[in-house]
Amino acid sequence: MLRREQNDLLTQTGPGTPGGRLFRSYWLPALLAEELPGNDCPPVRVKLLSERLLAFRDSEGRLGLIDEFCAHRGVSLWFGRNEEAGLRCPYHGWKYDVTGQCIDVPSEPEESGFCKRIKLKSYPLVERGGVLWAYMGDPETQPPLPEWEFATVPDRQRFVSKRVQESNWLQAMEGGIDSSHVSFLHRGDLNSDPLFRGAKGNQYNMADSRPVFEVVESAGGLYIGARRNAENDHYYWRITQWVMPAFTMIAPRGNHSVHGHFWIPIDDHNCWTWSFDYHPIRNLTDAEIAAMKDGKGIHVRYVPGSFRPLANKDNDYLVDRAAQKAGKTYSGVEGIAMQDASLQESMGPIVDRTRENLVSTDNGIIMARHRLLRSVKALIDKGEVPPGVDPAHQKVRSAAVVLPRDQAFKDAAKDALLARPGVAPASV
Amino acid sequence: MLSESARMASAAEARFRIDAPNAKPKRVKVIALDRPSEAVVKELAHKAWNGATFFTASAFAGAPPAGSFSMQGWLSDLAGRTKDLIDEVDSADLVVMVATAGENAQAAALIGEACSLKRITTTGLILGGASASDETLSKTLSQMRPWSLMLVIASAADYIEDMLIALRA
Repeated sequence: MLRREQNDLLTQTGPGTPGGRLFRSYWLPALLAEELPGNDCPPVRVKLLSERLLAFRDSEGRLGLIDEFCAHRGVSLWFGRNEEAGLRCPYHGWKYDVTGQCIDVPSEPEESGFCKRIKLKSYPLVERGGVLWAYMGDPETQPPLPEWEFATVPDRQRFVSKRVQESNWLQAMEGGIDSSHVSFLHRGDLNSDPLFRGAKGNQYNMADSRPVFEVVESAGGLYIGARRNAENDHYYWRITQWVMPAFTMIAPRGNHSVHGHFWIPIDDHNCWTWSFDYHPIRNLTDAEIAAMKDGKGIHVRYVPGSFRPLANKDNDYLVDRAAQKAGKTYSGVEGIAMQDASLQESMGPIVDRTRENLVSTDNGIIMARHRLLRSVKALIDKGEVPPGVDPAHQKVRSAAVVLPRDQAFKDAAKDALLARPGVAPASV
Repeated sequence: MLSESARMASAAEARFRIDAPNAKPKRVKVIALDRPSEAVVKELAHKAWNGATFFTASAFAGAPPAGSFSMQGWLSDLAGRTKDLIDEVDSADLVVMVATAGENAQAAALIGEACSLKRITTTGLILGGASASDETLSKTLSQMRPWSLMLVIASAADYIEDMLIALRA
């Protein structure tokens, strides 16, 4: 349960809001690099943190993320001509560079200097690991570039997708750290999904359906450990990473790729769910990439030409009651990603947390909210840099390990929880 | 025509959600297992709660080695009145055990066993985990782990208050 004002504080991320200021402390994934495939390619509309923006790559390959609307008459620059090192409004020819600076107003004499007085709001946009990252905060406090491991491995070792989720970011993210739903909602997928099946860890999952949880604070967020019984006085641990504010990484299975998410607010009623898979020491196989493109694992199939999932609320998520009855799927919705998204969207755009009844196993969610609230307060009151900004907090991994029963996972698996270039992930 | 999911998940439809209580008050019993935790729990007890009650088992933690310790009176409320563990567990929906890293948390076994018998959910909270050495923390963990369905290692005591509020304690 959260009080209404706490719920507002965490779910509202527009300009001027405390939660918005928190998100504006970080580099955020804004677009897939493939959305701006070449110099002078068509610009792309981007809405982030309730701000309407436009991304483009100019003739020199420079990236820009600027106010979507022309300063002259408010036309969307999405119709603009991306040419000769700038984006020109098709209405009256005003032209902007990647910093939002107006560089040409054809109706005004060049010597008047008029265009120098026109500048659209713009944000830094950088390419890293197949993703274009935006920083929307105070330029004075711009952090170092993101160091998430998936973004630093060679391209062939990584697959990244994104999808629109029609709910507030927080209820989507909370699903990512709610380990106890897996035994219900996703049961069946472990043995059928090509990106999960065959791992020895799956046997521990299936043999012990009542995991016990441990939540431990980390420098950047939380470790959420779920333990199940294993052989000879050992536990099988699955350790999820949450790094503030919106990064989650799920424990791997066998030699499958490691995966996780970012949950980035589009506005208060919608978010981008970013999904990444990578392997720290090997290329992804063609079969793995084909499966990911086909919506397996944590990815989805799309409505053609969009990032909207093919199964969406307009078609009732293609719910299949016969498959539900037969136990093929638990909720009737196919695929892990849409099993989650369908239920999270059903809560309404912003779930009313004043009415929820959390239980003991929700402590991961409770602790995440606690840390978010504490960090927002420290940021607003004292200007403290929130956890997760420091690149050291980003060099983490989830892990699946078997440990003696008397050992604390955060210590026994200390190395396994760090990103170590060239070292295989700890996985069972 | 809008699908049912599209129509019903809208902000407009949220207005029609039933605004009536959807749960009875939860009976949460919070038990400090050692002296430092007792101080934290005592402070918490002064706040307004929906029926949460607070106890201490710190006498157990401070007991001499096995043999000379009396099993009478080891659990008490914060006014010092002796309480019967089974009675308290019997009337609980959730038992929260609060320990401090490095302190003696052996009372967790007695409380946990009683909760296990009565099928009452337990949550363990370990304070000071961030500053404790690995060895110290492991010792406390090994006492708490077998008896906690959920175990939280918190760096600051203010987490307990947020957790109890979140649980409507």
